[in-house]
Amino acid sequence: MSETPAAVRAEIIKLRGIRGTRFSLLLFALVSLAIAVLGGWSARGALDSDSPALRSDFTPYQAGLDGVLYGQLALIVFGVLVVTSEYASGMMSLSLLAVPRRGRLYAAKMTVAALAAVAAAVPVVVLGYLATQAALGPHGASIGADGVPRALAGAVVYLVLMCLFAAGLAAAARSAVVPLAVLLPMVLAGTHILSLIGATEELSRYFPDQAGRELLTVGSPHTGFGLAVLLAWTAAALGWGWIRHHRWDN
Amino acid sequence: MGSAGGGGTAGPDPGPMRPAPAAARLGPVIDVQNLSKRYGQATAVDGLTFTVRPGTVTGFLGPNGAGKSTTMRMMLGLTRPDTGTARIGGRAYRELARPLRQVGALLETSAPHRGLTARDHLLWLARSNGIGRSRVREVLETVGLAAAARRRIGGFSLGMGQRLGLAAALLGDPAVLVLDEPVNGLDTEGIRWLRDLLRARAAEGRTVLISSHLMAEMSMVAGHLIVINRGRLLADTGMAEFLRLHGRSFVRVRTPEPGAARFGGELERHGGSVTRAPGGVLEVAGLAAGDISRIAAAGGFPLEELSNRTGSLEETFLQAIGEGDTGADGGGDGGGGGAAGRGQGPGGGGSSGGGTAGTGGRNTHV
Repeated sequence: MSETPAAVRAEIIKLRGIRGTRFSLLLFALVSLAIAVLGGWSARGALDSDSPALRSDFTPYQAGLDGVLYGQLALIVFGVLVVTSEYASGMMSLSLLAVPRRGRLYAAKMTVAALAAVAAAVPVVVLGYLATQAALGPHGASIGADGVPRALAGAVVYLVLMCLFAAGLAAAARSAVVPLAVLLPMVLAGTHILSLIGATEELSRYFPDQAGRELLTVGSPHTGFGLAVLLAWTAAALGWGWIRHHRWDN
Repeated sequence: MGSAGGGGTAGPDPGPMRPAPAAARLGPVIDVQNLSKRYGQATAVDGLTFTVRPGTVTGFLGPNGAGKSTTMRMMLGLTRPDTGTARIGGRAYRELARPLRQVGALLETSAPHRGLTARDHLLWLARSNGIGRSRVREVLETVGLAAAARRRIGGFSLGMGQRLGLAAALLGDPAVLVLDEPVNGLDTEGIRWLRDLLRARAAEGRTVLISSHLMAEMSMVAGHLIVINRGRLLADTGMAEFLRLHGRSFVRVRTPEPGAARFGGELERHGGSVTRAPGGVLEVAGLAAGDISRIAAAGGFPLEELSNRTGSLEETFLQAIGEGDTGADGGGDGGGGGAAGRGQGPGGGGSSGGGTAGTGGRNTHV
């Protein structure tokens, strides 16, 4: 069965050739690293002057993971664009002529989205952490500190799953508008607001981003729970997208 | 962008670049059985059965909305039929391994991503089907796009886009070509190049199915015709037979003007039906050329021209569509379909005679 790897290689060429997807990956790296550095600098200033502006739960470890929480917006856009670039033009017919098995094309596309997300997330998460610690100067922590390697790995898993979650929703919606309109506000603020309201606090733990955040919380006792919830959301989105892709008939 | 001439000036290469496959095996047959497709209330394709054989170019004809594109999409596994099957060499398209190496397709509705370069577009297609990178360069040269290989498709003219689509269809050197309106957007030179290419591919024993609304072009390239209307099969015959069966055949004679009217009357007295055209030209149906010659000799009419003619493909096609319509509607709109249709045709443009599509018609089938 050399046809599935062939389909994957074809998807890699598409991804590299289309500007939107390439640009969103680049943006993910730039935003994550820029915020990692800026966050470190401003925290250092606050620590040096003993400012009360600093969050009470501030730790240098956790600060090292803040950058990707903003950068993930671009990664979500990437996940959506990878899928919707097929629907925006008449590309889907061509893809299905080349790879007529619906499942194979879908699997190839999602595999490439995941691979690209891993390839981008690993260096960005590690460099982001290091950049924050460097910017913190004397307040910085080591990358080998207790719980940190696990949180860094968790951050990579979180980012990849969020990217796939977005890609699955985009395949289900067959357009970029709806998934972006739902996902970006949700990740930016929505579920965070829910988590602050007493009545919805418990509920908010089951949202994909809030649950997934346990993965990149240093020393979180709920990592397993967070992973399970986020995996369930991602599997559901990918499954829904697969059904919609399978039924594509035009 | 001044890109319109880009493809043309690059000079398309006429004909296939490589010699025909050593074993001149015949390409597979496309077999369509009882194919139907409805979209809501509208029936797009209604119980179509036909086969497309290798060795000659098969033309797929039908008015707009007849179901040609839907049928082609069902052949290629893009649209699920409600009933029936479409098989290529005995297998459904979706079951073909590395399909681009077996079937090359061009569809009107499919368009490559505008952000990709021509080269990247062909490259991912090649990769997905295990086709070597060298073929990308070859087909770009074949269609005359080598100079535009690194340009983004979004900036292409209609003709260049069409050439790229043809390059994609040829990429896997397939034994079957299924092309929906392949000459759309091509310039005269491009049309001629494509005609030669399709004929050469068919002559090599490949299976070639093309749809086109350009009748004159179709009559020049196709040896076999499949004609559909409202999703149903009207004809599945050789080109010559189609023209003979559905077209009007007549004898064109010319005699010097002063005697033409009298000669026409004489021919009608002998049972001919005569249509007069300017310049002393008479189109005579119902009499053989020999009879006309004898009548002319007996009456002392000098003949400057005497030739057997059949209607153009366009005229014949509209005639066949009209016949089909009156049959399907139980004669509701009388014979009007055929005659009206003939009048609307944008000039003759056919392969043989009958160039005056508007003038002839009406009294030929009385």
